[in-house]
Amino acid sequence: MAANVRKSIPHLMMLVYVVIILAPFLFILFSSFKSSNIEIAAHPFGLPDKWVFDNYKEAWVKAKINVYFFNSLYLAVSAAVVGVLMAAATSFALTRMKFKRTSAAIYQFVLIGMLIPGNVLFIAQYLLVTDLHILNTHWSLFLPYTAGALPFSVLLIAAFMRAIPNELEEAAIVDGMGVLRMFAQVILPLTVPALVTVFIVNFLGNWNEYLLSFFFISKDALRTLPTGMVQFRDAFQMNYALVCTGIVFSVVPVLVIYMFLQRKIIEGLTAGSVKG
Amino acid sequence: MHKKLVSSLAVSMAMSAFLAACGSNDGNNTSSPSASPSESASPSPSASPSESASPEKVENFTVSLRHIQIGDAQKFRKAILDDVVAKTEAEVPGLKFELDPVEDQVNRFTKLPAEMAAGNPPKIFDVFGGAGDTQKYAAAGRMLDLTPILDELGIKDKFLSGVLEPFSVDGKVYGLPIGGNTEGIFYNTELFAQYNLNPPTTWDDLIKAADTLKANDITPFAMGSSGAWVPNMLVNTLIGRVAGEKTNNGFITGEVKWNSPDVLAAYQLYADWEKAGYFSKGELGKDYDGMLNDFVAGKAGMMFDGSWRSSAFKNDAVGGAIAGKVAFVSLPAVPNGKGDQTSVNANYANGYGFSSDVNENEKKAITAFIKNLYSDEMQLRGLLEDGVLPSMKLSEASVAQVSDPVVKQVLDVLANAGASFPHFDSVVQSKVYTETETQLAKLIAGKATPQQVGDAIQKVQDAENAAAAK
Amino acid sequence: MRATLKNPYIYLLFVLPTIALYFLFFIYPMLTSFYYGFTNYNGLNTQDFIGLDNFVNAFQDPDFRNSILNNIYILLFSCCIQVPLIVIFSLLISNVKRLQGFYKTTVFMPSILSTSVIGILWGYIYDPDVGLINSILKSLGLEPIYFLADMKWALWSILITNAWQWMGFYIVLILAAILAIPRDIEEAAMIDGATGVQRAWYLTVPLIKPVINVVIMLSIAGALRVVDIVLVMTGGGPAGATDVMASYMVNQAIKYGDYGYGSALSIIIFAIALVLTALYQIVIVRRQEKVEY
Repeated sequence: MAANVRKSIPHLMMLVYVVIILAPFLFILFSSFKSSNIEIAAHPFGLPDKWVFDNYKEAWVKAKINVYFFNSLYLAVSAAVVGVLMAAATSFALTRMKFKRTSAAIYQFVLIGMLIPGNVLFIAQYLLVTDLHILNTHWSLFLPYTAGALPFSVLLIAAFMRAIPNELEEAAIVDGMGVLRMFAQVILPLTVPALVTVFIVNFLGNWNEYLLSFFFISKDALRTLPTGMVQFRDAFQMNYALVCTGIVFSVVPVLVIYMFLQRKIIEGLTAGSVKG
Repeated sequence: MHKKLVSSLAVSMAMSAFLAACGSNDGNNTSSPSASPSESASPSPSASPSESASPEKVENFTVSLRHIQIGDAQKFRKAILDDVVAKTEAEVPGLKFELDPVEDQVNRFTKLPAEMAAGNPPKIFDVFGGAGDTQKYAAAGRMLDLTPILDELGIKDKFLSGVLEPFSVDGKVYGLPIGGNTEGIFYNTELFAQYNLNPPTTWDDLIKAADTLKANDITPFAMGSSGAWVPNMLVNTLIGRVAGEKTNNGFITGEVKWNSPDVLAAYQLYADWEKAGYFSKGELGKDYDGMLNDFVAGKAGMMFDGSWRSSAFKNDAVGGAIAGKVAFVSLPAVPNGKGDQTSVNANYANGYGFSSDVNENEKKAITAFIKNLYSDEMQLRGLLEDGVLPSMKLSEASVAQVSDPVVKQVLDVLANAGASFPHFDSVVQSKVYTETETQLAKLIAGKATPQQVGDAIQKVQDAENAAAAK
Repeated sequence: MRATLKNPYIYLLFVLPTIALYFLFFIYPMLTSFYYGFTNYNGLNTQDFIGLDNFVNAFQDPDFRNSILNNIYILLFSCCIQVPLIVIFSLLISNVKRLQGFYKTTVFMPSILSTSVIGILWGYIYDPDVGLINSILKSLGLEPIYFLADMKWALWSILITNAWQWMGFYIVLILAAILAIPRDIEEAAMIDGATGVQRAWYLTVPLIKPVINVVIMLSIAGALRVVDIVLVMTGGGPAGATDVMASYMVNQAIKYGDYGYGSALSIIIFAIALVLTALYQIVIVRRQEKVEY
């Protein structure tokens, strides 16, 4: 009996934690189906009196969630993919090719970037994209997103590549492979776990990025989800149910992906931070 | 400073004269207060723009258009803009407008300044007149000189006298006010009747109303101070009342100081009301729409706001709960106030400006846009549908069509005004204005005394005046 | 044979794009920040060199000093309140067998969501009229609390939202370290008759100290990085109560067009970050190494 009680204490405490995590989501979900602010205020946790699905139609049209969602998706994916490939190529050159001293210097140079907190560069990057005349285009996000991920990606992928035994590439050379084919067919496949990790970290970072996307993009059709949602909130502040619907729209896809890929995502993000 | 106003029953006359006073407030005495509207309407013979007679192949092009008509409360303004956009697109071959809606404050204080600094504003954009906005950008060469377009369209003299001043530098016009407004008190007539209150037309009645409402657990003034421009409207009018209607124009010349006793007295009055609990609880977290919501829902008996808000009290989703129960008055005379206590605040500061970086096609589009938006028809629609006071001269017959009781009261307030003063946001430099917002938030939060507020703003004002003198 | 891996063209092909992009968006902005930090650049007019004026102004600027203080509060809250809680919860989860995966997945979830969406979401939780917390307070007959509008509450509200988002992330981090401890050490302690709490404190915590250090480092870096949530939830208000260095910098640059001053602030933030990192490395990590060995 006593043992049972003692065993359930951790579960009780965790239950409190889990409720604190989940309650806001339930509140938002229920609210999104309610017809009015009054109903939300009267029964914050109650199920809606009548399930109002119109909010969803309205939010999709008014909030242009579809537009923001697509923008976020393709920016986050493309910047993450390009960043991973660039970092992989560079890591290969730095760790496997025979330019030891140059490589060591370049490696140190790239790692300086890890010391610079992202938002410190905000103003200068703003002026930079302005000078490049790419302000208010997706390039103004794609380039900093890609560049921003490089130091960390190189660090992680280089560490991984160093661990690959030399015999493999010697065998490849004996087989008469060129360096490009060796990179693409021998090293890259072996590095996939690190690449996936880096991709996930970069993708989520880009997907959630707010500061640059808020100030670098002002055309509605180019906005990403985080800034589009803030704009939507400001415009329909008083229609709580509608804004809650918008939140549901922007949260659910991520949660669905998380459901399927949770192990990989958790591994990726935590590995990324420990190394960083 | 012309205080003499031609009192006339014709509202349009009253307004144009009243505007003359406004214009002279801006330090320009060239316009006579009795300027007759009829002299002006002489369109130049070459007035048909945009319709390029050549039926050559149509070149498609887009023109970016930044507007601030977002959300339900702005729907009437948006409808007018949409119609103008559609009409202009139909007239100019190949033209497609790219609408870019941005919330007013974000546009004015974040996006536009940044874009101006970068030199890439939208081709057409919502802009405010005055030293902090249009005049600053125009002086930096960012804005299109509209004088030739106005000449081509022959509409320059159609604008009320003085309203183009805040949009002009060295006699050249860089922006066009879309309409005008005055800031005053909206009150809930049903609540006032319920508690046997007189309309707040005298100071005593106003205070009595506020105290009675407060005693009955109704917020006297709905207030949304999360953006400090909202409470700044009341501060501006209090300064006009307490320190006199000439005060605002004196800040940039150095004649008036923010920490002078008169201005401090206005801030003190605001602080006293704050202390008396006259404003919404949690106002620092409430935004402009939240304030309207409180007033519409009857949680508050009064609301100090711009006359443009009159369109929010129609019988629809936004204002249905209060439609027909709203009245508008100007802030009553303040005991021991200086200057003309019948003066009212008047602003013709919001309008459209255009990028100086445009090609021939875009210029054509801009010309057609101006022609269609700044027309009698759209000005009248703005007045009738949206309660926006026209910035151009309308005929008496047109103005007589106003049926909305609140808009009528707004027109009365203006007709009865002895003088006018602008909002200081269209007078002082932008850094000074932002400082007034920062300091007012501190005053509301109880983190600063009126003296500290005045000293801090004056410090920035001194620095800006010194920089301007260089 | 070696020549394959000594092809300089391939080397350049693989390295140059990265270096170029990295230089353009990291090093060059850093350098221009230093340059602009000494000017009065405002985007519209020509800039003049004004020496150290911006830096002097920054330290005399009460609003910036206030924002530094807020960063310090966030840092202290993260290190002194969050980290102990994180350790406790990780120990709790590591001690259960059933539902362990569920707990891990759930607590981690908020950290994959966009900070701006979380800001909006919690804005509604805190809302005085329809918000979750105030609805509960009202049903208990209490007065509503204006969380984001009240000087006393605003920063706390942001801190709690921030903790809600990130604690799970760190919990999973530490949990992984705990689960990596070999079972036999635990079992030996159990045979010695140590209670769960004793085992956790004397055995597990010392073993996971390196990871705790990482978490503290990350918390410090995170505390300096807080900005999205402030911009989304309060914009730094009410009356600067939630302004942090980064949000103040952004507003100075964008709102006032004061790029020179903003750049100077960004250099100060960079310097503070460097100093804190170095201090932590020297004071905490080095000392521990000495003790351990």
